[in-house]
Amino acid sequence: MALTGDLKTFNFVDIFQVIAKDKKSGILLVEWPDITVAYYIKDGHVIFARPVDRVFRVYVERDFDLLIEKLRISKENLFKTVERFLIERLNLKDGVFSFTPGFVKYGSNSYGDVYPIEKIIMLASRNLLQEEVERKISDELLVFEPVENTQDVIERAELTPEEQKVLSLVNGERTVYDIRKDSGLDSLTVDRALYGLLALGVIKRKKKERKQKPSIALDLLMKIIERIKEL
Amino acid sequence: MKRIKKIKIVIAGPFAAGKTQFINTVSEIKTVQTERRTSTPGERSVKDYTTVAMDFGKIRIDDEHELYLFGTPGQSRFDFMWEILGEGALGIIILVDSTDPSTFHEARKIINFFSSRFPVPMVVGANKQDLPNAWPPEDVATALDISEEEGIPVVPVSAIDKESVKRVLLTLLEMIKAELTS
Repeated sequence: MALTGDLKTFNFVDIFQVIAKDKKSGILLVEWPDITVAYYIKDGHVIFARPVDRVFRVYVERDFDLLIEKLRISKENLFKTVERFLIERLNLKDGVFSFTPGFVKYGSNSYGDVYPIEKIIMLASRNLLQEEVERKISDELLVFEPVENTQDVIERAELTPEEQKVLSLVNGERTVYDIRKDSGLDSLTVDRALYGLLALGVIKRKKKERKQKPSIALDLLMKIIERIKEL
Repeated sequence: MKRIKKIKIVIAGPFAAGKTQFINTVSEIKTVQTERRTSTPGERSVKDYTTVAMDFGKIRIDDEHELYLFGTPGQSRFDFMWEILGEGALGIIILVDSTDPSTFHEARKIINFFSSRFPVPMVVGANKQDLPNAWPPEDVATALDISEEEGIPVVPVSAIDKESVKRVLLTLLEMIKAELTS
């Protein structure tokens, strides 16, 4: 089942967050106004990017090793295609995407250097507009907390000193307002960093503890459950 | 005359998530709707009428109790109604249109709105699963930044299917039961 959407309302950070979560494999197709690019995703990483004139070709040429042989691209140079057709386009907002999982066959486990998805997520987050960050960092009273055992993810993300500073200030107590103030950074930089870190899964929203029990008697609740089952 | 006690569940979610349909599917009365013609070109391209105050449907439990399902308006310009409708709710169901990722961020804001004001159990219904381009519930959960620890299950639903709507309601009620008995 394809995941489809528009970059204007669901940006690259959001897309790669979903792809990275379960280390998905498949084809991400982005139709830009000037070109259509197929991004080959293997185990959650973008390993190859290729402009296509006819989309059906992507779905016909399923053997990846044969494909790169036909295109005369060495494994060592695959990352350059990602650099050219993805990294340089992360700031473009005009396009529609579809991600179709599976169907590409890979003969090898390794295809040379790849851009870690974590790094791409942070690169993309640095291009977010104010209106985009506000979709997730919607309230300056939001509180985030660090997620444990994510050091390897943080290393692969290659955070900037500003992003590291923001991450160090996330402690489950400080609000977004506090982090903006204590970091001394401008709001957009802080919010972009928080957006990216949230997508990486190294921070999460702090859950509010429920202090009171539901205001209903158990026997009445059981009656409601039975009634719903009968409907 | 015996006074009927009302128990309230709120159905919230972005514009055109399927809230009115969800209530219609299980309500024993014709859903009371407060609809007006959509006012912006963007909204009009999705549907002609939209809820402006609330919808409500009703399920009779016994001689003394009725379960009310209150649907909120989707647009955030009506968020004063969310506050009013959320008061005293036993639980909250957030519906999301699984075929329209452009609404996922709005859905997250609505989750934040209700969870910060009303500390009651909440379930997300990943609606329109009957459509071919629906995102799977697990991907909807990721896009909404719902972590497992947040305790908000994301369940598949098709609001036109009664069994599917019942499943969402039962998921919420079982959560409430678990909190009561813990």
